[in-house]
Amino acid sequence: MQGLIDVFVQGFGFSSGFGTFAAYFVLIHSLLGFITVYSMFAIWLERKVAAHIQLRLGPMETGGWHGWAQSPADALKLLMKEDIIPAGANRFLFMIAPAVVFCGVFAGFIVLPFAEGMSIIDLDIGLFYIIAIASIEVVGVIMAGWASNSKYSLFGAVREAAQVVSYELPSATALLPSVLIVGSLSMGDFNTYQAEHGWLVFANPFMPIAALIFFIASLAGCKRAPFDLPEAESELVSGFHTEYSGMRFSFFGLEEFVSMFLVSAISATVFFGGYTLPFDILSVGAAPDVTLFDWLSGSAGFAQVDLLGSLTHLGGPVVFIVKVFALIFVQMWLRWTLPRLRVDQVMVMGYKYLLPWALVCVVGTALIEGLGS
Amino acid sequence: MEALEMYTVNARADVYTEELRLNLGPQHPSTHGVLRVELGMDGEIITAARCDIGYLHRCAEKIGENVSYLQFTPYTDRMDYLASMNNNLAWSLTVEKLMDLEVPERAQWLRMICVELNRIASHLIAFGTYGIDIGANTPFFYAFREREAIMGLLERPSGARMLYNYIQPGGVRRDIDENWVADVLAFCDEFEKRWAEYNTLLSGNAIFIKRTANIGILTKEMALAYGCTGPVLRGSGVRWDLRRDVPYLAPYDDVEFDIPVGEGTHGTLGDCWDRYWVRMREMMESIRIIRQGCAQLPDGEVMTKKQKGMYKTPMKPPVGAAYVRCENPRGELAFYAVSDGEASPIRLRTRAPSFCNLAVLDQLLPGCLLADGVAVIGSLDIVLGEVDR
Repeated sequence: MQGLIDVFVQGFGFSSGFGTFAAYFVLIHSLLGFITVYSMFAIWLERKVAAHIQLRLGPMETGGWHGWAQSPADALKLLMKEDIIPAGANRFLFMIAPAVVFCGVFAGFIVLPFAEGMSIIDLDIGLFYIIAIASIEVVGVIMAGWASNSKYSLFGAVREAAQVVSYELPSATALLPSVLIVGSLSMGDFNTYQAEHGWLVFANPFMPIAALIFFIASLAGCKRAPFDLPEAESELVSGFHTEYSGMRFSFFGLEEFVSMFLVSAISATVFFGGYTLPFDILSVGAAPDVTLFDWLSGSAGFAQVDLLGSLTHLGGPVVFIVKVFALIFVQMWLRWTLPRLRVDQVMVMGYKYLLPWALVCVVGTALIEGLGS
Repeated sequence: MEALEMYTVNARADVYTEELRLNLGPQHPSTHGVLRVELGMDGEIITAARCDIGYLHRCAEKIGENVSYLQFTPYTDRMDYLASMNNNLAWSLTVEKLMDLEVPERAQWLRMICVELNRIASHLIAFGTYGIDIGANTPFFYAFREREAIMGLLERPSGARMLYNYIQPGGVRRDIDENWVADVLAFCDEFEKRWAEYNTLLSGNAIFIKRTANIGILTKEMALAYGCTGPVLRGSGVRWDLRRDVPYLAPYDDVEFDIPVGEGTHGTLGDCWDRYWVRMREMMESIRIIRQGCAQLPDGEVMTKKQKGMYKTPMKPPVGAAYVRCENPRGELAFYAVSDGEASPIRLRTRAPSFCNLAVLDQLLPGCLLADGVAVIGSLDIVLGEVDR
């Protein structure tokens, strides 16, 4: 981070304040670029996964190889579509709702460590920050549902509110045992701890349960099947985004895929070792002394960076993204396999099974940690 | 104490709430066509329901009174468009009864095989779309794979994939090709494996059972009072099947098959699960019938000689009336035709199974959650083309 600021301050002669601003501006926009590319790939992947589960081929024509250009083509189409705002809608809320939904999830990405030192900010309370900021999404959904002035949208919004608020309890509680073990809320600390002590999911007998609970609760948080009640097609047409079209509509879809990445990234970081592996298979040749990440984290100047070495030792981000995609694939797999739960069954599941078991994991882990030390 | 009471809100008296009127349809993903149900909602709970039909009314009966008997057969295709063969059969039997026609034996057996194949195809749609109603999209595509095979089989003698117009008064339109019977039998073997696959995919799924068991309970008395027929009636535990009880096609007496009824396997007798499971088991019974039919298929003519010239001169049945009931995939389909000796019936009336089964919906919905309402509509397995005609 400091390295990039130095580039702007020393290289371009910016003042230190403006240099900091410019550095963050560049970083956040590269993150946006990453998210856009990721979403397009994830949408294509979802269509392919769904198709192959359903004895179909999915997109095959657009762009040539297995329809790789289908998502960019769809994005282009959505951009060009008319932005329809229903006559009875509350215009202001209707218009800003997609942005609110997207911003909440996007803000969570800022503390995600893709590799050592490779996060925009490594907050001391990173995990807490993600859970808190991602909740803003609910507000956007309720805004969208209410402002649409449609009964189906309203139903979707109310379902979303009930579901997400209920499932934040088990999902946050299921993360607590890891926090107890690591003794920190910083996303970076989870990685460094697991690099030394192995994956947290195997730390004690309660951790696999906690990981499973978090995974199930996170499905509900991203409105993925079997918890896709807010947009249940066979019941609510499209739920809270029934009245949306064009680019505003696509933001809701984008948000879904981005939050899938976010919760999978939390899972990967907190339970599955983040960007670390228990064994070293990705590094070819000797590790470079100074990497790009050292420059980004400000511990070395750009001139000292061993560029070639950094590229061949990109292990961290690759490992991390592979883990995230493995979890995303499971989410997709479940979506195209399972029927949908009913609204009361979702509540029963959250309060009667997930939350108590998450608490058991917290107490059990606390006992093991307390007795062990 | 007084201050406390001041802040206690009496939800009934102080907060003004009203019932939400929700239009389910006519454009809705899970009303299986253009059905409109007006729902009164208290939150997610349905308090009142009123069916509104007629969006697909095409005056089929009135048209029948203005075209010749033979010309009406394609119109029956379009009533229950998922079971065209069965509709053709019911209409042909009605006309044959009016005209007192003898149908060659081979034609009768062919009719039975085709009708049972079509029954499987129709139940496959019921199975697939029911999965979608419950939120599982994938079984639909598995069901369509087998339906595609059936449509391919039925296309070979009839020339059409969906609206066959194959069974006609006097017999069937054309004979089958020489490999057809072997291919049908091969399909039967294949289908048994696929059927087991459906059950692992949907029938045995815990969420699916939770969503359908104990939902939309239709008691035996209610089913009989409302005139429900077919899987809806049998799902409530009534062992009533026209194929066995009121034989309308001779070969049904010569084949063995069971009549599955609901048993309340996962909940109460007559719930959505029972209706679903009756349909699933009926597919296997149809396979049994088809196998026996293919083994016993006699040689001979497929159309009565008397009717060979019917394309040139329209048939004119003697004065009289005929009412024939048939067991369709959705229940009892009956045609009532009155002849005054002219080329077209003076009065034509259809008793459509979906129409009668749908009548019970208003009673089943109140008290359900919205998601259950969708499950109940799906479990009745209606075809709006037949409800409205």
